[in-house]
Amino acid sequence: MNDVSPPARTRRQDIAREWMRAVYPTAYVPMSPLEIELFLLDLVDVIADAVQAEPFAVDPVDVVGHRLVQAHFTGPDTLQRTVGVLGHALLFSPELRDVPRLAEKVVAILGSVSAGFATAMRLDAFDQQEEIKRALMAAKLRAERVLKVSEARFREVFDSSAFGIAITDLLGRCVEVNRALAEMTGRDRGELTGRRLVELFDPADAEAMTRSYRAVGEGRVARIREQRRLLREDGEPVWVHLAVSLLRDADGDPAYHVTMVEDVSELHLLQKNLDFQLLHDSLTGLSNRQRFATRLEALHGTSRAGITLYHLGLDAFSLVNNGLGHAVGDRLLTEVGRRLEAAVADQDALVARMGGDEFAIVVDNSPATPSVPAMVDRINEALLQPMDNGVALSATIGVVDRPPAGWDVAEILRAGDATLRRAKAGGKRQWQTYDKHVDQQVRHRQARAARMPGALAERELEVEYQPVVDLAGGRVLGHVARLRWDEVGHDECVELAEETGLSLALGQWALREAAADAVPESFGHLYFELSPMQSRDEDLVRTVKRTVEETGLPASRLRIFLDTRAMLDGVGEDNAQVLRDNGIATGLTRFNGGQAELALLDELPVDALVLDPSVVRRLAERPESLLHTAVERMVALIRSSGVAVLVPDLSTEHQAAWWAGVEVDAAFGDHLAPAVPSYELSGT
Amino acid sequence: MAERLSWVPDDVDTGLPSAARLYDYLLGGGHNFAADRELAEKFLRAQPNARTIARLNRAFLRRAVLHLVDAGVRQFLDLGSGIPTVGNVHEIAQKAAPESRVVYVDYEDVAVAHSRMILADDERSTILQEDMTDPDAVLAGVRATGLIDFAEPVGVLTVGVFHFVPPERDPAGVVAAYRDAVPPGSHLALSQFTSDLQPEEMSGVVEVMRDSANPMFPRTHAEITALFDGFELVEPGVVPLPWWRPEQGALEEDADRAGIFAGVGRKA
Repeated sequence: MNDVSPPARTRRQDIAREWMRAVYPTAYVPMSPLEIELFLLDLVDVIADAVQAEPFAVDPVDVVGHRLVQAHFTGPDTLQRTVGVLGHALLFSPELRDVPRLAEKVVAILGSVSAGFATAMRLDAFDQQEEIKRALMAAKLRAERVLKVSEARFREVFDSSAFGIAITDLLGRCVEVNRALAEMTGRDRGELTGRRLVELFDPADAEAMTRSYRAVGEGRVARIREQRRLLREDGEPVWVHLAVSLLRDADGDPAYHVTMVEDVSELHLLQKNLDFQLLHDSLTGLSNRQRFATRLEALHGTSRAGITLYHLGLDAFSLVNNGLGHAVGDRLLTEVGRRLEAAVADQDALVARMGGDEFAIVVDNSPATPSVPAMVDRINEALLQPMDNGVALSATIGVVDRPPAGWDVAEILRAGDATLRRAKAGGKRQWQTYDKHVDQQVRHRQARAARMPGALAERELEVEYQPVVDLAGGRVLGHVARLRWDEVGHDECVELAEETGLSLALGQWALREAAADAVPESFGHLYFELSPMQSRDEDLVRTVKRTVEETGLPASRLRIFLDTRAMLDGVGEDNAQVLRDNGIATGLTRFNGGQAELALLDELPVDALVLDPSVVRRLAERPESLLHTAVERMVALIRSSGVAVLVPDLSTEHQAAWWAGVEVDAAFGDHLAPAVPSYELSGT
Repeated sequence: MAERLSWVPDDVDTGLPSAARLYDYLLGGGHNFAADRELAEKFLRAQPNARTIARLNRAFLRRAVLHLVDAGVRQFLDLGSGIPTVGNVHEIAQKAAPESRVVYVDYEDVAVAHSRMILADDERSTILQEDMTDPDAVLAGVRATGLIDFAEPVGVLTVGVFHFVPPERDPAGVVAAYRDAVPPGSHLALSQFTSDLQPEEMSGVVEVMRDSANPMFPRTHAEITALFDGFELVEPGVVPLPWWRPEQGALEEDADRAGIFAGVGRKA
């Protein structure tokens, strides 16, 4: 081809253009007209070169037909037009005019092109047929796979459903029934296939059922639900709910009925019962806490005028239970439940037994709802009437009236519970409404108490020392140990520790800290007040002795003060004696001056006491009075018996002056000198 | 349980003729069955120019895709793509811009299976089996392929298929749903049969196709133009197939017998 001269190419381009115009309309080829022309020009070259070649051979043009088909020149008229254009062009082209035996060669070449084209077309058609058949196969396989999956899913539902399912043809014969339906009827699955479904039902129902099926089959109704009696094989009727619908075939024509059968007889009822038991109190039949909480939550969320929760605790119910027996107690609880329900019957309200002797009522308030006090009266009146065994009960009630919308159900129930506890502290047949402020205080304190053990372990608590001063001479005799936990002062620390049972451990720790800090001579005496629990501790003497030994604090500089009230209980009496026997000065603290306490002074070997802070406070609250005179005489009396008197918590000059006039032995308080941490103790 | 439930309908497409394979046959393809060819012969009796119309329509698809590539579009959504035949969108687009990505959409089982075979080795093209008249399902499926970035211009092609969308499927709403899903700079290429040209032949064709799986709904020039609502039609607007941007060296074609109006619009 390379030796082809430019003028000849031009003629060949003309042939290619002519060829393009001839075949372009015969088939779609994804090329532009110019691209087609260039494509055909290549083939013109192959053909024209072959005509001129010596020796002559047709083999080179074998590819032409194949390439035409490959490029999709495959229209019904494509070959005919190709032969027409090429025949004329080859025979009358100036370029080929001198080729010997031209006509013979052109016929041979066009024959070869045609044969190649035909072969390629046949193969191409064959390939395409193969391809489309494979595609059809793939589509079928896929569809079958999808069908299999959906069948498998259906099969799973069909087999495992608790509902009975029957598929019946339009004549009402069972095509298939599932296991659940077979079990319901007490028959064999195989036995049911082919039978008319209606025969399984009470003959009295047959006619109505047939009508229903016809209505569904004719499309007059989409679905029918009704209650019918299925007959077991043994003749026993089984009440069932039926749902009948229609299945259509691919053309949309009615083909089958599907009947779902739900057993609503015993088994079903038993199930219902179980559900009931899960949500109700088995003794009283009232809602249980679970259901109450759910209902409370729902009411709280939707109530227009707000809800009110009454949390009731029966007073002294344990007396009934223990004294008259549980059977009586149970009857009583049932009766209480009944009466409470009657008391709120005219309200949108729910009564529940929350457990033990506690009940709860939630009322969705309406304009007609009585006020809280009126409601409480109603409840009390309802309980007032003695039961048939003569027992009358009262209740204490915690009321949470219209809790904020943001509260969740747990918060409301907790508030009710806390308010009931608070009301109970006030005695029997009390009621209180929820007080946010009190509740917060209590919660705050409880939270703090709960945190105390951790705080002790984390060394958040400290022991501080407050100088104990001789009021007459102003001399510092020593220091009293004070507890501090951030902003929480000594007295509250002691109370919290007593409440949480941490008192003993805390006291032992504080004693050891204080003893170690008191070792330097300049510290003076260590005054250490024991908590009530610590005062009663049987191990107290050993603890104190070990502390003294291990810290090296001279026993002569340690003064232990036992809690007066603990001593009154008589449990820790020995402690005072044994401590004293070990050379440790022992006193009493929180001394009120009551008769019993004064008597203690005779019984116990104590040589000092610390008055109770309340004594100091009470005297400060009023001007000169009988009380002042009494205290003055008591102090003199105690001192005359050889017991030193110490006064705590002096906070004003006036107090200090008065107590100095009474001639107490020593005092401490913020007015005299504040408590300081050990590292601020002077001279150490 | 291995046996098939006797009442579960067998849904597999077997001998029903399909419009996609009829089109293939008219284009000279061999991807068709006897039933398709039988329907095609009836079609040809009603509209003797059907082969030419098929060819012109296919040629319009090619020119439209190339125009979109020129306009910077590199991702194509070919709705109702049918049987892969000569000059498929991904072939044309990827020849012009190799990075082009194509999602074909068709709902016919065999066409989809065939497309899957053809596209098995092409990472930038895929076929989605959905009904194009359910744009929500189609768009969700397209997004799942990850091939089309809806932040970039998309070429939405519905070439020679919209006449299968019946009026009750809300044709305007269908187009609008695709339009709303694609960003500005996207294009719509649409062609469909009209009864404005050769109304007698067209009614014959409608008659032939009436009871097939794919009845046809020719539309007027105004109706077809209205489908481009929200698009700016590029020159020369909605015209008979051969008039839409003919290429250099193109042969004279008889527009009156072209059967189909075509147009391309650009979303502003």
